[in-house]
Amino acid sequence: MFTPGSKYFLGLTGLSLVSAILYMVLVNPSDVGAVALFSLSAAAATIGGFALFTRDGDVWTADEAVTASTATMTPSLWPLVLALGVALTLVGLATTPAIFILGIAALVIGGVEWTLQNWADRASSEPAFNNDVRERVIGGLEYPGLAAVILVVIAFSFSRIMLAVSMEVAPIVFMIAAILVLVAGFYIASRPQMRGKLTNVIAVVATVLLLGTGALSAFTGERSELAKASKEKHFSKEHRECGEEVSKYYDKKASNNVSMRSGVFATIFVEDGKIYAQEIGLKKKLDTVTIARSKTVTVLFRNLDSAEHRLVVNLGEHKVGTTDVMEKVGTCTQVVGKNQEQALILNIAKQATPNAPYSFTVPGINGEIKLVVP
Amino acid sequence: MDTVSTVKSSSRRFSGLVAGLVATVLLAGCAKNAPQDTFQPKGENAKMINDLNLLVFPLAGIVGVLVFAFAFYVFFKFRDTGQPIPSQSHGKPAIEIVLTIIPALILSVVGVLTVRTIFDLAETKDTEMVINVTGQQWWWEYDYPAQSDMGITQPIISSGQLVLPVGTKVLLRNTSRDVIHSFWIPALNGKMDAVPGRINLLRLHADKPGIYAGQCTEFCGLSHANMRMEAIALSKKDFAAWVANQQRNAAPAPAGTKAAEGEAVFLNQCVRCHQVNGLKKADGTPAIAAPEESVYSGAAPNLTHLMSRNTFAGAKFDLVSKSCRADVWKATSEEFGAKYLKGVTSDCLNATELRSWLRNAPAMKPMYADPAKLAATGGKYRGMPNLGLSEDDIDKLVAYLLTLK
Repeated sequence: MFTPGSKYFLGLTGLSLVSAILYMVLVNPSDVGAVALFSLSAAAATIGGFALFTRDGDVWTADEAVTASTATMTPSLWPLVLALGVALTLVGLATTPAIFILGIAALVIGGVEWTLQNWADRASSEPAFNNDVRERVIGGLEYPGLAAVILVVIAFSFSRIMLAVSMEVAPIVFMIAAILVLVAGFYIASRPQMRGKLTNVIAVVATVLLLGTGALSAFTGERSELAKASKEKHFSKEHRECGEEVSKYYDKKASNNVSMRSGVFATIFVEDGKIYAQEIGLKKKLDTVTIARSKTVTVLFRNLDSAEHRLVVNLGEHKVGTTDVMEKVGTCTQVVGKNQEQALILNIAKQATPNAPYSFTVPGINGEIKLVVP
Repeated sequence: MDTVSTVKSSSRRFSGLVAGLVATVLLAGCAKNAPQDTFQPKGENAKMINDLNLLVFPLAGIVGVLVFAFAFYVFFKFRDTGQPIPSQSHGKPAIEIVLTIIPALILSVVGVLTVRTIFDLAETKDTEMVINVTGQQWWWEYDYPAQSDMGITQPIISSGQLVLPVGTKVLLRNTSRDVIHSFWIPALNGKMDAVPGRINLLRLHADKPGIYAGQCTEFCGLSHANMRMEAIALSKKDFAAWVANQQRNAAPAPAGTKAAEGEAVFLNQCVRCHQVNGLKKADGTPAIAAPEESVYSGAAPNLTHLMSRNTFAGAKFDLVSKSCRADVWKATSEEFGAKYLKGVTSDCLNATELRSWLRNAPAMKPMYADPAKLAATGGKYRGMPNLGLSEDDIDKLVAYLLTLK
């Protein structure tokens, strides 16, 4: 019942399991050694189970298999992939992690595929039968894996193209590409006699075009405004301008509606030139909001005024580095218009003190909401 | 003895054993003193749940008994005794329809009542008072925002024991500073998760003055089982007195006393994490605790009025001795407020457990507070570490803490 290979691995499973238990009892139950031994046991059990299932890689039954003879090795690209993997791994060690990871992936894929091909080739002298044997084992993984890789490549290529073209041209490119795909699909579907070779030709041409354009776009780089925004850190804290004026960068493309409602601790309103707050459960309009320290809370800002406003949270001041220069601590929302809203997620670690009180203000509006952090 | 008699005798013994075990299990549920008994509601929200339960539970029980009885009858009556297999039929549509309609009707009734109860429990429009409840490993913090109609003119921070006025619709706004916890005081309402970054609402309403016990009911780490809470319901007059006391700053310890020495130890050791409102440093400036620098959750219990509570360490340990605790727990509704508001006096103090805690807190309540194992939390403690205090320091600290009423 048990094949020699499976006996070995199942024996290893048992031995490592016993060792793991003994380790836990005699050394330390939560040590990494116990984890390693359990992992070894699990890995050995997996391989042992696989060896048992495939009968140590022997051919299944006599009536399925053609009498084995000296099998002719089928030409294979997998040694090349394996070699490429080795090369990429070595290059990646010296250059970037991305190439290293690509190399490891090529090593694993090439190794597994070549091993399986060799194994299947020993089944018989019939290449078709051997291929079928190979398909039975790895087919379930190959096709989805290949599909995933193709989708990733397509998506990545698209993204490079979209980042390279200007904002005005990008939607047009997208529309044209989508129309082409739709038309081609309809044409092929309506001409059954043209399927097969034509489909292959169209797919190859489209893939080459996409990959080529994507590669070219990647080399060209992202559109200049994105590159500039990234270099000048337009979306960073340094450009968070919390004044009354609309900021050139920070207030671009403000998100004016908030979908998350269940975690709102307090809502601050601006209405008719006045600022007030409301909290769940308290019916009155408030001029003070109390937030316990180190608690992550969401505060919603709703602008009911006709003018555009933003909410600013003032959290005192602190010294800049080791200098005596004091800078304000706080944050703010983007500017929003009438009936629009924004959320701020706050986690205030330090108490407010009489010398350093905290508050919510709206630039351009008199008054404030006291923020008490006891 | 023949074989049949032996088998019957064994079978009877086995049945007797099973019956005995079942009876033991059932009777074990009839505890005399069960402070977390969900079948003894003490507030209107808990009563709503109990009322629904009193309908659904017996109904489910009856249905269960009938179904099991019928199933066992069928298994026994038609067991294989070698008889020929009876002729098979498709079934009886009339029986199938009846056996679909009856459960559907039962479930409809249960469903309607359940949904109605859920909506009633979620009602918040008639809230009279709000308390923010924050769970963190492994204690509960209660902060009372300013609410002038409840006499709360400035925020109150407390922990362990949630104090509320009797007959008042209190809305708890539950959240957490670290992992998910769950707030549960069975006598007053069901469970409500405290989720970091979210506000979950729970209503409490107590009919009478008293202490109502509860505990965390969402696994939250090493000391989840030790994360307790108690709700203290006081009459409105007593609640006003409690509020007035809580809003006072701590008075400095009288100079030259052991308590003053303990204050110095506190300033040296404890104020890194624990806040005492009104405590001043040697230079006269307010001592502001900075738990965010040392504690993973960024907060530690405020100890300004520690001795107005009668538990500590996440309500796991009593601050009062057994007899004093029994005195408060067993007090009648009329005298409960006065007994609770008396707080912890030196003759009632549970000095043994308090001293043990100060000596080595992680030994009393498992916490991730070993300084050598704080890599995962960026060097910050989850819970109170062993401060390595000397017995003399502990004596002084206890004397000081006794002044924090």
